[in-house]
Amino acid sequence: SGELYCSLPNPRNVHFESVNMKNVLRWLPPEGTGAGVFYRVKYSVYGVGKWIRKPECKYINRTWCDLSSETSDYEEQYYASVKAFLNGMCSDWIETTRFNPLTDTTIDPPMVSVSSTEKSISIILTAPEKWKRSPEEESVSLLQVYPGLQYNVSVLNKKTKKRWFFSISNTTMVVPWLEPGTAYCVSAQIRVTTPLLHSQFSKEYCISTLKDKTA
Amino acid sequence: DALLPPPQNISILSTNMKHFLTWSPVIVQGEAVRYSVEFQGEYEREYANESWIPICECSLIAATECNITEDISATVAYKLRVRAEAGAARSEWGTLKGFFNRITTSLTPPLMKVIADGYHLLVELEEMGPAFQFWVLYWKKGQESRMQQKVVKEVSHMIHLDTMEEGLGYCVKAQTYVEAINRSSGFSQTQCVRAQGGTSMWLV
Amino acid sequence: TAGNNILQLGPCRVSMSMAEIRSGFNSIKANIQARDPIKSLSILSYPHSLHKVKPSERCCITHHLCSFYVAKVFRHCRTEDSYVNRKISSIANSFLSLRRNLQHCHEQNKCMCGQESTEKLKQITVNYEGLNVTSAAIKSLGELGILLDWME
Repeated sequence: SGELYCSLPNPRNVHFESVNMKNVLRWLPPEGTGAGVFYRVKYSVYGVGKWIRKPECKYINRTWCDLSSETSDYEEQYYASVKAFLNGMCSDWIETTRFNPLTDTTIDPPMVSVSSTEKSISIILTAPEKWKRSPEEESVSLLQVYPGLQYNVSVLNKKTKKRWFFSISNTTMVVPWLEPGTAYCVSAQIRVTTPLLHSQFSKEYCISTLKDKTA
Repeated sequence: DALLPPPQNISILSTNMKHFLTWSPVIVQGEAVRYSVEFQGEYEREYANESWIPICECSLIAATECNITEDISATVAYKLRVRAEAGAARSEWGTLKGFFNRITTSLTPPLMKVIADGYHLLVELEEMGPAFQFWVLYWKKGQESRMQQKVVKEVSHMIHLDTMEEGLGYCVKAQTYVEAINRSSGFSQTQCVRAQGGTSMWLV
Repeated sequence: TAGNNILQLGPCRVSMSMAEIRSGFNSIKANIQARDPIKSLSILSYPHSLHKVKPSERCCITHHLCSFYVAKVFRHCRTEDSYVNRKISSIANSFLSLRRNLQHCHEQNKCMCGQESTEKLKQITVNYEGLNVTSAAIKSLGELGILLDWME
């Protein structure tokens, strides 16, 4: 086949984007190249060093490649690399920095479900699951990955506009002695202390306490 | 280099894990005097040939004070030194007498505001930095023997302590705790509030 | 398991500012790891991960690895970057503090070394001495995250 000249500009900003340990390699196209660029991807386990090609990301024209399966052991650290091809030319292999799935992932907010009685609201929190290969695979909660996981819960009284904060470790909470017929909005955040990680706050879930039947 | 007198009265001001090195100005008629600060941890003395490490934020500064908090980040004995420069003239190093260990920092009681919102007991605490936790003690007024405690690690909001019984008075006090040096401050002033409802009269 | 600052290493219980060490390392991790071009060798994880070590031997390995980092690693990691040097000093002095705390456990016989940890520590030394001093020290410092993950 024709000789490949590796003088094509390099892919840019090659990095892992990780959410709940779904680890996706992303990059930007080489400067000044339009359509028609193709890419190859390889990865390696730090300390092993053997580069392994990712068949599903061979000569792709998109600028991402899901390496979650290949980087699912979060006791290891990884590198990945991308090479660009265009009209018989190619770029260099451009590598990521060392990727540590345990500390370099972003955690989603917890799922929040709320219910109410006349004078209380009940909150149930569910930590997100670690990425898994298929729906059939057994789910692993991030609670199992990060044993020190805690929740910050915010409760806003829509009438008084006052916001209270709770720090809890378990996943259920009841806020008693509230005002009947009043709307409360709840949002929650995950905090991990070792390593230091925290999610954004979830969106607000609003619910009203029931009206006081005696009034 | 022509010699300047080294800075004198070198001392540390350390409060709530914020550490400052201060010294008296060196006076040179008609010249702007600049100062540079270096530190040496126990590691540098024992394993790195007693090397000194410059603090670049305090290199050739006009002020007679340097915030060394960022570099005093281990609970070991540190040495600190400062020298003066004016034009081509430079002083010998003036060294802090003895060592500084952050374990000696002075811890002040936290600023605290207690709020009763209906039947809910809430507290607002001042933000003091990641090294700080807060031990908040609260009890029904008159029942000091049945105190409850809550450890608060994040204070950027209004913290919910507990729900209160109708019409009862509740009192709260708080102290800071710094895990890195395993020390706590004195307690803040006690503040008491009353839950909504009920008719009993009580005095603070 | 470790709270933010309490390390439970078998019978040995040590209070330590892991968050400060972790924060110091995170701020120089990319800089230090970029100076280590050798991806095919790990000092701490070859041939086996630290996670394979029996819980009963965690204290021994932590204690000896603290000494390893204090005596062999930090001193050979001086760079041209004063910010990096200051952070290395911060981590090194924190490790000195941690080693002192572990020494108490050692003296109370709560930090026993079995055959497995002795072999693991020997392997780490072999891995370290397989490189020139500066490369080995920079690689070891770049792997501090592996040690912290395992300790926590």
